[in-house]
Amino acid sequence: MLYSRRSVLAGLGAIGTAALTPPRHAFARIDDRPFFFFTDDEARFLALICDTLIPEDEFPSASQAGVVDYIDLQMAGPYGRGARLYMQPPFAEGTASQGYQLPLVPAQLIRQGLADLADRDDGALRRDAAARKAALTQLSAGDPAALQGHGSTFFDELWKLTNEGFFADPIHGGNADYAGWNMVGFPGAHAYYQSFVDKFNVPYPKPPMGINHKPGGDGAMPRPLRQREG
Amino acid sequence: MPDITLPKIDVVIVGGGWTGLTVAYELAHAGQRCVVLERGGHRHDATSFAGPEEHDELKYAIRHEHMIDVKQNTLTFRNGRDQRALPMRRLGSFLPGEGLGGAGIHWNGQIWRPLPSDLQMRSHYEDRYGAQFIPDDLNVQDWGVTYDELEPHLDFFERICGTAGYAGNLNGEQRAGGNVHEGPRRNEYPNPPMKQPIGPTLFGEAAARMGLNPFPMPSANVTAAYENPYGAQLHPCTYCGFCERFGCGYFAKADPIICVYDRIKEHENFEIRFRSTVLRIDKAADGQTATGVTYINAEGREVFQPADVVCMNAYGLWNVHLMLLSGLGTPYDPATGSGTVGRNYAYQTLAGVNVFFDEEIVTNPFMGAGALGTVIDDYNGDNFDHADLGFLGGAYVAATQYHGRPISYQPVPEGTPSWGAEWKRAVRENYLHHVGIGVHGSSMATPENFLDLDPTWTDAFGRPLLRMTFNFPENDRRMTDWVMQRAVEVARNMDNVRSVSSSNRAASGNDYSIVPYQTTHNTGGAVIGTDPATSVVNRYGQMWDHHNVFVFGACLFPQNLGYNPTGPLMGLAYWTLEHLKNEYLNNARPLMDA
Repeated sequence: MLYSRRSVLAGLGAIGTAALTPPRHAFARIDDRPFFFFTDDEARFLALICDTLIPEDEFPSASQAGVVDYIDLQMAGPYGRGARLYMQPPFAEGTASQGYQLPLVPAQLIRQGLADLADRDDGALRRDAAARKAALTQLSAGDPAALQGHGSTFFDELWKLTNEGFFADPIHGGNADYAGWNMVGFPGAHAYYQSFVDKFNVPYPKPPMGINHKPGGDGAMPRPLRQREG
Repeated sequence: MPDITLPKIDVVIVGGGWTGLTVAYELAHAGQRCVVLERGGHRHDATSFAGPEEHDELKYAIRHEHMIDVKQNTLTFRNGRDQRALPMRRLGSFLPGEGLGGAGIHWNGQIWRPLPSDLQMRSHYEDRYGAQFIPDDLNVQDWGVTYDELEPHLDFFERICGTAGYAGNLNGEQRAGGNVHEGPRRNEYPNPPMKQPIGPTLFGEAAARMGLNPFPMPSANVTAAYENPYGAQLHPCTYCGFCERFGCGYFAKADPIICVYDRIKEHENFEIRFRSTVLRIDKAADGQTATGVTYINAEGREVFQPADVVCMNAYGLWNVHLMLLSGLGTPYDPATGSGTVGRNYAYQTLAGVNVFFDEEIVTNPFMGAGALGTVIDDYNGDNFDHADLGFLGGAYVAATQYHGRPISYQPVPEGTPSWGAEWKRAVRENYLHHVGIGVHGSSMATPENFLDLDPTWTDAFGRPLLRMTFNFPENDRRMTDWVMQRAVEVARNMDNVRSVSSSNRAASGNDYSIVPYQTTHNTGGAVIGTDPATSVVNRYGQMWDHHNVFVFGACLFPQNLGYNPTGPLMGLAYWTLEHLKNEYLNNARPLMDA
C-alpha cells in the first residue's frame, strides 16, 4: 500500500520542538504522490537527518522546505543514476585530492549510507536527536570507521543534496515557498538590476521569483512533473 | 580505414569555440574553404540561454549542463609521479565547455592583457635580478613574441568583445583610475567601465588610501549598445548575476556565438559539423605535414577529412591530448627532460579573502556580473620588487561581485560550523553583508608538472585518457601567501568591516585538489617559443614538426600569467592568423628555422 507524502511525514514534528509550531510539513507540493525513489521508511529517516543538518528556527527546516522531495526526485532522476559521472572500472582507493572513486552512483551511495545510519545502535538515530547530531558530527569530521571507510563521502553527498534542496529553484521540488531564498534575501531568477546595482546599501524590495513563478505563486514545479507516476 | 573519405578542403578546424570560430572567420574571408568540427551540438544565445529558464543555478552552475560530459571524455589525475593517477570521475576544479562556442559561452568575461615583462619572463628576470635568480626547478621561458607585437591583436579582440574599462596607459601616458602598470595601449577601451557596487567601491577606497592603484576590472560584460568590428550587436549588461557557468541571453556578455559565429555562419567558405569528435590528426608520409583529420560524425561513422591546413582549436588540455594520440611532436619525458608535448603544464594559483561588513553595508550580492569588480595590479607580474622575496610572479587582487546564487554563495565567518543551527544563522546574517577578494596568481612551470597519456583508463571512443600530474610549486606557494597578506592589509583598511578571514589554496601542505572548483585556466602542454627543444610550436603558433598544423589556445602559454587567459590567448590567435594569412598560405613552409 502506498501512502501520500503528507501521511508518511505525519507525526514527525512531534519528535522535536517543532510540535509547538503550526504543522508546516514537507512534501506539500507533491503531497498526493508516493515517493519516486525512497521507501516511506527511508523518507521518514532522511527527514530526521536533513532536519539535523538544517533545523527549524525562525525559518523552516530542511524537510519543511521540501528537501526530502527534492532528494527523492534527484535520486530517481539522471543525477541519482550517475549522469555526468565517469563509471569506468577499475575502481581504486585514491587520495582526497583525487576526488570521488567509489563504484556507486549517488542513488546507491545515499541508500546504503542511510541504511547504515538507521541501523546503528539498534536504531538510536531514529529516536534520539542528540544521537543524530553526534553521528553526523563524527561523519562530517571524516570518521574512518563509518560506512566501510566512506562515511565522509556519504556525508558530503548528503549535505550537498540537502543544501541544494533548500536553496535550488523551487522548480526542482525543494525550497518550498522560497524558504531558502526568503531566509537570505535572494530575489531569484527574474534578474535585472541595471538601475539598482550602484544604489549603495539599499535592500532590494521585491520578493523572490523562481523560474516558474506566476503572480502570487510559489514557483513550484510545473504540473506535468508533479503528476508523473513514480 | 575510415568509413568515408571526403573531398579535400583548405582548412580543417578542430573545435568551435573562441579561437576556432575566429580562425574560420578570418580564413574564410581570406578565400579559404573552412570546415569546423565541433564535438558538441548547436546552441544559440537567443534560443538556448534566455532567462528566466537559464537562471537555474542547480542545472547549470552545479550540474554543469553547459560543460563537457566526463562520460565522453575526462582525464586522470595525480599530485606526483610517485602516485597512481585516477580518473576525474566528476567535474570539479575546472569546467571545460562543449558545444558551439565552447567554454567561451560560460566564461565570466574578465579580459586582460599580459604585461610586457610577462612575455619575456626569463630574460626580464635575469636582466633585473641576475642570472641566478630563477631557480633550476622552474622551467621559466620567454614566449618568443613581444608585447609590442601582440598589442594590435590584443586591442582587436577587446573591440570584438566591446570591452568595458578605462585605459591606464594610453600610448605611454599613465592615467590614474586605470591600470597604470599595463603596457601601452593604442586605443581607449571601446566602452566605459562597469558600475561598481558598494563592496568593490569600499575596497578601491581603502587601496587608494594606501597608495595603491585601484581600477575597474576590464570586462566583456558590455556597458552600452555596441557594434563590434564584425558587425555583431551587443547590449548593455543587466548585472543579473548569472554569468560564469551560464550563457547570456541578454546579448550582453561577449561570446563566440554572437560575436563571431553569427557573422560567418552564412559565408560560402564556412561550414560547421556538429557532434563530430576528432579522433586523430593524420600525418603525411613526408614526415613534415599532416594530411587532415579523422573524426566520428554525428551518425557514428568514421570520416577522413583531408585538408591543406589543420588548426587545433580544442580546449588547451584536449589539444595536447590530440597531439599525444596522433603522435604529433615528441611526448615529454620527465625522467630525462626530453620531448615537449605535455611539458610545462601549469594552472593558476588562487587565494581569497572574505570581508564581512556590519549591518550598515548592504551588498546585494545577487546584482553581479562576471567581470564586475575593482582591482589592484600592484602585486602582479614584476610590478613590484622581487629582489628579497624569494619568488617569481604575482597576482592581481580583486574585490568582485559576480553572483549571489544561494547554493554556492554562502559566506560565513571563520569558525562557523559547516552545518546545523549555527551555520544556518550565519548564512542568513552574512549573505547581504560580505564581499570576496580574490588573489589571482601566476603559475610557474616545473619539470614535474606535465601531461601524458594514462595507461589504464579510456574515453567513450576507447582512446587512452589524458593524464595530469600537478602540484603547486614551492615558488607559487610563497608567492600567493605573500600577495594574500597584502590583500588582507587592504581588507583591514576597508570601512565598516566586522571581520576578515583568508585562505590560500596553495598554502604550504595543501596538495592541489581536483575536487573544489578553482578556475578553468589550465595552461601549457604545447607551448610557444623559439627553441624546438623547449616548445611545441614556433613563435607563430606553427608546429615545429608539422608545418601545416597551427595551434591555438592557452596550451601555448610557457607558464601561466597572473591574469585570466582569454585575452592573451586571443591576442596570440590573431597574431598567428596574421602570419598564417600573409606568409604561409601562398608559400607553405616552416616560418622559422628549427
